[in-house]
Amino acid sequence: MSKRKLIIEPVTRVEGHGKVTIHLDENGKVDDAFLHIVEFRGFEKFIQGHPYWEAPVLVQRLCGICPVSHHVAAAKAIDQLVGIDPDTLSPTATKLRKMLHFGQVFQSHALHFFYLASPDLLFGLDAPAEKRNIVAVATENQDLAKKGILMRKFGQEMIKALAGKKIHGILAVPGGVHKTFTPEEREYFLDGKEIPNVDTMIQWCVEIIDFIKTYHTDNANWIDSFAHYDSNHLSLVNKENGALELYDGRLRSIDAQGNELLNIADNEYAYHFSEAVEPWSYLKFPYMKEYGREKGWNRVGPLARMNTCSHITTPYAEAERVIFKDYTNNKPNNMTMHTHWARLIEMLHCAELMRDLLLDDEIMSNDLVRKGVTRNKGIGIIEAPRGTLMHEYHTDDKGLITKCNLIVSTTHNNEAMNRGVRDVAQKVLSEKPEITEPMLNQVEVAIRAYDPCLSCATHALGQMPLHVELKDHEGKLIDEKYR
Amino acid sequence: MKSTDKKKTIIVGIGNNGRQDDGLGWAFLDYLETLEPDFDIEYRYQLQIEDAEMLLNYDHVIFVDATKEKTVTGYSFNECLASEEYSFSTHALQPETIIYLSNSIFNHFPKAYVLGIEGYEWELQIGLTEKAKGNLENVNNFFSETIINNYL
Repeated sequence: MSKRKLIIEPVTRVEGHGKVTIHLDENGKVDDAFLHIVEFRGFEKFIQGHPYWEAPVLVQRLCGICPVSHHVAAAKAIDQLVGIDPDTLSPTATKLRKMLHFGQVFQSHALHFFYLASPDLLFGLDAPAEKRNIVAVATENQDLAKKGILMRKFGQEMIKALAGKKIHGILAVPGGVHKTFTPEEREYFLDGKEIPNVDTMIQWCVEIIDFIKTYHTDNANWIDSFAHYDSNHLSLVNKENGALELYDGRLRSIDAQGNELLNIADNEYAYHFSEAVEPWSYLKFPYMKEYGREKGWNRVGPLARMNTCSHITTPYAEAERVIFKDYTNNKPNNMTMHTHWARLIEMLHCAELMRDLLLDDEIMSNDLVRKGVTRNKGIGIIEAPRGTLMHEYHTDDKGLITKCNLIVSTTHNNEAMNRGVRDVAQKVLSEKPEITEPMLNQVEVAIRAYDPCLSCATHALGQMPLHVELKDHEGKLIDEKYR
Repeated sequence: MKSTDKKKTIIVGIGNNGRQDDGLGWAFLDYLETLEPDFDIEYRYQLQIEDAEMLLNYDHVIFVDATKEKTVTGYSFNECLASEEYSFSTHALQPETIIYLSNSIFNHFPKAYVLGIEGYEWELQIGLTEKAKGNLENVNNFFSETIINNYL
């Protein structure tokens, strides 16, 4: 048998476009595998020369799925340009931004779990490709599909109430927010008349977590072993107590055994992180300088956050976190497929946080904007749905942006996704007489667990059909499939 | 502008006005807004699964989108029948799929149509081509004279 190369393009049920190449040697054994991000982003460059106050509006156009995350991260950075830090932002502005952020995490996690991941879990990895989608879920499990839709809607309605529209709205302005919350808006989310209320969201989250726990019990073999590999884990944690923190905190990284590698103020990130490049991808590879390119990469996102935090501040989510941690005897969890479980715990946490904020009268105050002494540099770091999101802006004395650096969550996960692709390809494809479509789907499942947002990580436009090519070692096409 | 009965109607314009004629769906909604309509309108870059839930509030829906299909009049108008066909990604949901989801998940069966307006250029640029503007004018007339009176 000659050397062969398999290509999966584009990777499906992820946000954005990427492709996978799998290299087989003469014996059909997987030699190597790569996740290529083939889109190109120019945001860091073309924002230069724009006034700083445009940044939270412009950069959210990176994405149609998580614009709120970019809006909030940019806003935190731009606050500093007008002399405001997270602890001097008004309490009302802080709470309204947090509520916006929690609505975003809630809806984004719902989108991923119900629309993208659930078909793999419900129908199995070997199910026909035409069945692995939300329409089939809707046909066979109406209740799950209905709850998924209504939970995502709740988060989107929260975003719309605060930012004016569900996608590319605006809440944050330099040093605060431009609107407060009205009693009518609060009642909309509490009374349950027009949409299921926030207490229903909490109840449904608990039900869905029960579903995933049962699923894990029934499928422990493959859930625990699939794309299971050691890594470091990075996220923000609460500055005072190390709790799960999504909006503002310290950066903490631990290794696969739980040893602390990093615990720094978020504005020190540039001293500790660098980004490597590879010729086969537009997506960079961030790593911690102290540990080098090989040992310094991190996973980010829900699984990492469960590993780095000491506890969760809301009661129901904390109870679920304890169960989650018990599964690994309180050690870091390196099982990629457990990311779905962690994601649902975070949904519950966000629902609880939104309820607490909705019951807080301070969200209806008019103390919205503050100003301090202007600066020329601002850094905003948050935990976006997919992980740690870093924005940094520099301005000249006229307030025009001279430099911008964005490290998005999916970029942090680049190395982790490549390891996942390699791990699964070696286990599933090596020395098999025939490579089937369900086998290739398993490679995608390893990527999908990270919920990568490839348009965020690079940004792109265009149409792409799914095209799988099988080539021999000379690059000659010997088979191809479309779907 | 008044429709011929009191059934609730929503018109969903799909597209992106930053991609030349892909903005036809939105341009049509812009026209409708000038008429102070007694139905609701929604702008969409693309249809989302949760749009199936949105339809619960309506008896009639018209999806309006630019089309690459060749037409005689510059537009096409057809009934939208439920279909469980689904593309491989979350993107590019078809109106027929939204109707299927509305039927199957919410047991709701609105009368649905697709209004396609022929476009020609799709590059990164704001503004319709002259030919597309002509098609839009034809559609505006067709809507006011025919759709309002016979379909809503």
